Amino acid sequence: MLSPRLGRIGRITTLLLVAAAFAYPLLAFLAVAFRHDDGLAPTGPALNHAADNWQSVLAFNDGVFLSWLTNSIIVASTGSLIAVVAALPAGYALARLRFRGRRLLRFLTLLTMVIPNTVLVIPIYLEVSAVGAVNNLWVVGLLMGFFPFGVYLAYIHFKTTLPNQIVESARLDGLTDIQTFFKIALPISKQAVALVGFFSFVANWTNYFLPLVLLPLSNSTTVSVGLQQLVSSSPLFDPTNAAGLDVRLYAPHLALATLVTTLPVLIVFVLAQRYLVRGQTLGAVKG
Amino acid sequence: MTQQVLVRHRSRTRASSAPAVRRVRARKGHAAAVLVAPYVLLLLVGGLIPTGYAVVKSLQNEAETGFGGLSSYQRVAGDFRFVETFANVALVLCVWMPLLLTAAVVLALLVDASPRRFGASMRFVYYLPGAFAGIANFMLWLFLLNPGQSPVDFLWHGFGYTSLNEVAQPGNLPFIIAAMLFFQGTGTWVVVLCGGLNGIPDELLEAAKMDGATAWGVVWSVKIPMIRPWLGYMTLLNLAYGFQLFLEPQVLGQVTHGLISPQWTPNQLSFTYAYQILDTPAAAAMSVILLLVTLGLGLLVVHRSRLFQDER
Repeated sequence: MLSPRLGRIGRITTLLLVAAAFAYPLLAFLAVAFRHDDGLAPTGPALNHAADNWQSVLAFNDGVFLSWLTNSIIVASTGSLIAVVAALPAGYALARLRFRGRRLLRFLTLLTMVIPNTVLVIPIYLEVSAVGAVNNLWVVGLLMGFFPFGVYLAYIHFKTTLPNQIVESARLDGLTDIQTFFKIALPISKQAVALVGFFSFVANWTNYFLPLVLLPLSNSTTVSVGLQQLVSSSPLFDPTNAAGLDVRLYAPHLALATLVTTLPVLIVFVLAQRYLVRGQTLGAVKG
Repeated sequence: MTQQVLVRHRSRTRASSAPAVRRVRARKGHAAAVLVAPYVLLLLVGGLIPTGYAVVKSLQNEAETGFGGLSSYQRVAGDFRFVETFANVALVLCVWMPLLLTAAVVLALLVDASPRRFGASMRFVYYLPGAFAGIANFMLWLFLLNPGQSPVDFLWHGFGYTSLNEVAQPGNLPFIIAAMLFFQGTGTWVVVLCGGLNGIPDELLEAAKMDGATAWGVVWSVKIPMIRPWLGYMTLLNLAYGFQLFLEPQVLGQVTHGLISPQWTPNQLSFTYAYQILDTPAAAAMSVILLLVTLGLGLLVVHRSRLFQDER
């Protein structure tokens, strides 16, 4: 058996080495965004280069990058808002109420949670185009609001952290199940709201296939599809591309654009982090 | 704590009001219907209707004029690329899943055993690549894989590669995609598993220690069994994720100018049927086949990990 001291050193070394392995490519990528590159000879990193690069990204196709960002924000936030509003009451009902169809609903949630969402993208496209709603941001937001994993998270949350005696006594107190949910269960479920909101926002923000198919117009799509357009019109991978373009994007521009698109996910993570890891509601029972 | 006191007080005063209980029971079905209604609506629009639609579409004939039986299924399954796409995904899963499961569990246990500040900052660093999910992660890897500019160019030179096309050759693709998925996903699962480990009641860990369990003993017989539902879910979701691969091989194929087949994964094949061949029934059939494969795998894992277990 290892001595505790040796174990501690081993643990800290392992954690730090892995952290370095994860951080190194990210830092190197960050440095690229601060370089100057006009297709001839890239220079070293400098602050003013990043500003120039950003201007070039903005200039690409008359600022289409900003439209992509706006579209992503609309779609991803609508999606997460709907996911939270739908998942929490459903998770509560599945965990705490006995009603007809409960087992079926739980089974269907499980099944749809397993289905890779891209598998349904083409059927969803057929469905959406049948009602003539292709190229509509709000439809994409609504579809992203269907988040069975969120229902599962809420279900687990209410099942494991909501003290049963609180629900029982609320019931005896004459509160209806709906009142119990809104007045008792919801106020102590910040953790579940944060979990569902966080995971759905990240999933929506990084979703590629759904916007690719449902938002086919170049300037009405989201930033994940947009980045791919930047790559395919960069002379970096296809020198013949450069001919007809007014703005030529090279590695530093692509890196900067990519970094900007990851900021919202990072911000959401920082906001949600303390709920993601702490059993917030456990305190209510443990005292 | 205040809530608990409040509730005790309430239950003492009203515990005997039986008629109220009966009234509430009568309304219960109605209340549940209200609570699940928004979700059921989304389930219909985003899950069940498209699934049903895919099944109906897949049974049409090629011209979409009438019933075609299983002809579209025969068309896809007979496609020379069909088996290949599944073999490609299987290779990726073989490389990626064992790495992911081992690393996530080990790192989560190590973070869990660390003091607050240090553990939390390590967890944050591991999560960072998770912010680069999807296309952003792909962009990062485009730069990592390109020997001319990569910070790990020594690695590529070691293999004797001097250009992106040499690194991203078809034989290397399963490893490249496994590496991409590992980099973007592992940290998120560390966060999830840390949450699970955090939820283990202190009393349970103390009891195990008092019974004379060593640190390893606590890990094996308390911590890992307690996070087992999450491990099952993790396996399940990532298996499903493997079958939905689209973005990485698709864009990598574009930047390497056709070095990689545009039908490298099942989803890419489905996409080809829908948008290049314009054979909607075949695209739908491909979706249904993928659906059945992932559901089969999913049910197996769900069953074994006792996910969604209902003890009452």
